[in-house]
Amino acid sequence: MEQPFDIGYVFHFIPKLLSTLGTTLSIVAGSLLLGLAVGLLAALPRLYRVPVLQRVSRLYVSFFRGTPILIQLFLLYFGLPELLKQAGADISKTPVIVFVILTYGLHAGASVCEMIRAAVTAVDRGQVEAAYAVGMTGYRAFTRIVFPQAIAIALPVFSNLLLALTKETSLAFTLGVMEMTGKAQSLTTLTQHFLEAYLALALVYFAVCFTMEKLLLRAERRLLKHERQESEARKRFRSWKKLQWRRYSPEFPPGGRRQGYEA
Amino acid sequence: MKLDPSFIWTAFVQILSVIPTTLLITAVSVVCGLVIGTAAALIRTFRVPVLSEVAAAYVIFIRGTPMITHLLLIYFGLSLGVDALSKQFGWAFRSSSIPMIAFAFIAFSITAGAYASEVIRSGLLAVNRGQLEAAHSIGMTTGQALRRIVVPQAFAASLPNVSNLVVGILHASSLAFTVSVVEVTAKAQIVASTNWKFFDAYLAAALIYWGLTLLIERASALVEKRINIYYRGGVA
Amino acid sequence: MIQLKGITKSFGRQQVLKGIGLTVEKGEVVVILGPSGSGKTTLLRCINYLEKPGGGEIRIGDCRVDCRAASKKDIRELRKRTAMVFQQYNLFRHKTALENVMEGLVVVQKVPKEEARARSVQLLEKVGLGAKLDAYPSQLSGGQQQRVGIARALALNPEVILFDEPTSALDPELVGEVLAVIRKIAKEGITMIIVTHEMGFAQDVANHVIFMDEGVVVEEGRPNEIFTSPKEERTKQFLKRFTPEGVYSI
Repeated sequence: MEQPFDIGYVFHFIPKLLSTLGTTLSIVAGSLLLGLAVGLLAALPRLYRVPVLQRVSRLYVSFFRGTPILIQLFLLYFGLPELLKQAGADISKTPVIVFVILTYGLHAGASVCEMIRAAVTAVDRGQVEAAYAVGMTGYRAFTRIVFPQAIAIALPVFSNLLLALTKETSLAFTLGVMEMTGKAQSLTTLTQHFLEAYLALALVYFAVCFTMEKLLLRAERRLLKHERQESEARKRFRSWKKLQWRRYSPEFPPGGRRQGYEA
Repeated sequence: MKLDPSFIWTAFVQILSVIPTTLLITAVSVVCGLVIGTAAALIRTFRVPVLSEVAAAYVIFIRGTPMITHLLLIYFGLSLGVDALSKQFGWAFRSSSIPMIAFAFIAFSITAGAYASEVIRSGLLAVNRGQLEAAHSIGMTTGQALRRIVVPQAFAASLPNVSNLVVGILHASSLAFTVSVVEVTAKAQIVASTNWKFFDAYLAAALIYWGLTLLIERASALVEKRINIYYRGGVA
Repeated sequence: MIQLKGITKSFGRQQVLKGIGLTVEKGEVVVILGPSGSGKTTLLRCINYLEKPGGGEIRIGDCRVDCRAASKKDIRELRKRTAMVFQQYNLFRHKTALENVMEGLVVVQKVPKEEARARSVQLLEKVGLGAKLDAYPSQLSGGQQQRVGIARALALNPEVILFDEPTSALDPELVGEVLAVIRKIAKEGITMIIVTHEMGFAQDVANHVIFMDEGVVVEEGRPNEIFTSPKEERTKQFLKRFTPEGVYSI
C-alpha cells in the first residue's frame, strides 16, 4: 500500500540519489565522447560525398533518429552479445553500463552528425570564396574561417544535445543500471514512498540540467562575441521579444531546416 | 547471430495491432501540448503579469527534467491526490479505476506543452514585427491580428519543429510501458516473452517506429511545401 | 481635419519629439522632410499609435485623443481613421495581393466578402496590378509590393493615409512607378501625410511642407517657399545637399 505523502522523505532521498549522480554523469560523459567521435566519422562522408559510405551514414543517422532510445537500448543489449558470440567473443560478463554507454553513444552520434553537417553547410559559401580570394589554401580557409563560424552555429545545438542526452540517460534503469532513476526506483520498493522519491529525482535532475545549461550558456556567450551586436540591435522591439531566441528548437539551429532523412 | 525471419514477421504482425494505441498517445499529447504550448507562448510573449512567470517556470522545469519523471510523478501524484480527495468527500471513485492510458495522456501532454511552447515562441519571433504593425494600421485589434496574421505565419514557420515534436512524442510514447499501457514497446516485450527472442521482437518494433517516423517526416515535408509557397524568399 | 498638439516622445532618456504641433486640412497633401533621426517617422507612427506618444493631443475628424489617457478604444478609433503605407511594405506574407487588400475590409469594416472583393480588384487595377491579384508578396517586386500596400491603405477609405518613406527600400528603377501611383491618388483629394527623401516628388505633390530637425518643426509653408526661399539656416543646409530637380521625378 502506498504511504501518505511526507515531504520529509524528499529531503531524505536527495542525498541518496546524489550518491549515484556519478554513474549518471559517467554515462553522459562516456556516450558524449563516443557520440562526438562517431558523429564526426559519420559526417565526413556526407560532407565530402563519399559514395557508398555516405549511404551507410545516412542509414545510420536515419535509424538512430527514427527509433526510440528505449528500443535501441534493448536491441543492443540483446543483440550485441549474440552478434559477438558469432564472432567468437564472449561478452556475457561485460557490465551492463558498457552497453548503455555504447547505445547512448551511437544515439548521440546520429545527432552530432546532423549538427556538424548543418553547421558546416550553414557557413556562407561566400566566406570560403573570400578566404580563397585573400589567398588562403583550402585547409587554412577551413580552419581559420569556416570552422570558427561553424562552431558558433553548432554550439547552441550542442548544448541542447547534451541536455537531452543527460535527461535520456534516465532510461538506463530499464536495463538495471543503478544510476539516479534506478536508485529512485529501488528507494520506492524499500519505503513505498513513490511520489517523494520521484519528486526528489526530478529535483536533482532539474538542478543538474539547470547548472549545465547555465555553464553552457556562459561558454556560448564567451565564444560568440562576434554575434553579439546583432542581438543588441534586436532589443529595441521590447514587447515582442525576450531574446534567447535560439534556445528553442531542441535539436536544430534556429531557422535551420531539418537535414537528414531525405534518404 | 541467428535471426529468425519468420518470428520477426510474426512479431511484426502482432505489434501492428497496437499501433493505434501508440498513435493515439502521440496524437492526444501533441494536440493538447500544442494548445498548452500556444497559451504559454502567448502569455510569455505578451508578458502577462504573474501568469508569464508561471508559464516560464513550467517550461523551465519540464524541460529540465526527464520525461520519465513526469510520467511517474503524474501517475503516483494523481493517484494519491484522487484517493485523498475521494476519502475526504466520501466518493466511491478510486484512482485504480482511472485507465492507465489516461496517465500517459496527461503526463505526455504536460511534457509536450513545454516543448511546444518553445516551438511556438520561436515561430512567433520568426514573424516580422511589421506584420503586427500592418495589421494594427488597418484597424485590427491585437486579438484579430494574432489570429489572422501572426499565428498562421508563426505556425508555418515552426512546422519543421512541430514535426520534430511529433516524432519526439512518438518515440517518448514508448515510455508508457512503465505504467503498463500496451503500446508498441510493451507489445514487443510481451511477444518476446513467449519464446525469449527479444532481439527479434524489438527489431520488429524498431522497424515499426522507424517507418512511422519516416511517414511523419514525409507528411510534414509535404504540408510544408504547400503552406510555404509564399515563403519562397525575397524577390524584392 | 487632422490636428496634433504638443506631441512628445522619448526612447529611454533620449527625447525624439519635443512637442510637435501640426494641422492638416482635408484633402491636403503634407510632406514631412528632415535629416534622418529628426523624428519624422516617429511622429508619423505616433498618429496611429504604432508608437505611443509621451504626451500631447491627436485629433482626427471627430475623434480626439489625449495621449496621456488614451484608452484601447481611442487607439482603435484612431486606427480606423488612418491607414499606413510602410517603408518595408509589410504585406501579409501568407496572403495574396487581393487578400491583402480585402483583409481590412472584411475583418475590420465587416464589408460582405463579395463587395470587398469587387472593391479590392478595382483598387488593384487602379495601382496597375490587375494581373497580379493572386500573387503572394514573395512573388512580387518591391515596387509591386508597395503598390499593393497603397491599395490596401486606400481600400479602408481612411480620413488620412500615412506614408512612411514609401520608396526608400526600393531599387532606384522601381521608385518611379510607386511615386506615380501616389501622385495619381493625391490628385483625387485624399488627405495624405508623407515622410520622404524624394525632393522633386515632394515639391511636386505637396500642398504643404514641414521641415523637422531634432524633434521640432523648424519651418513649414508652401512648397515653393520652402524649396526656393527657406528662412531657417538648418533648412537651407538640408536642402543644399539635394539637387534642385528631383532625381526620380516624372
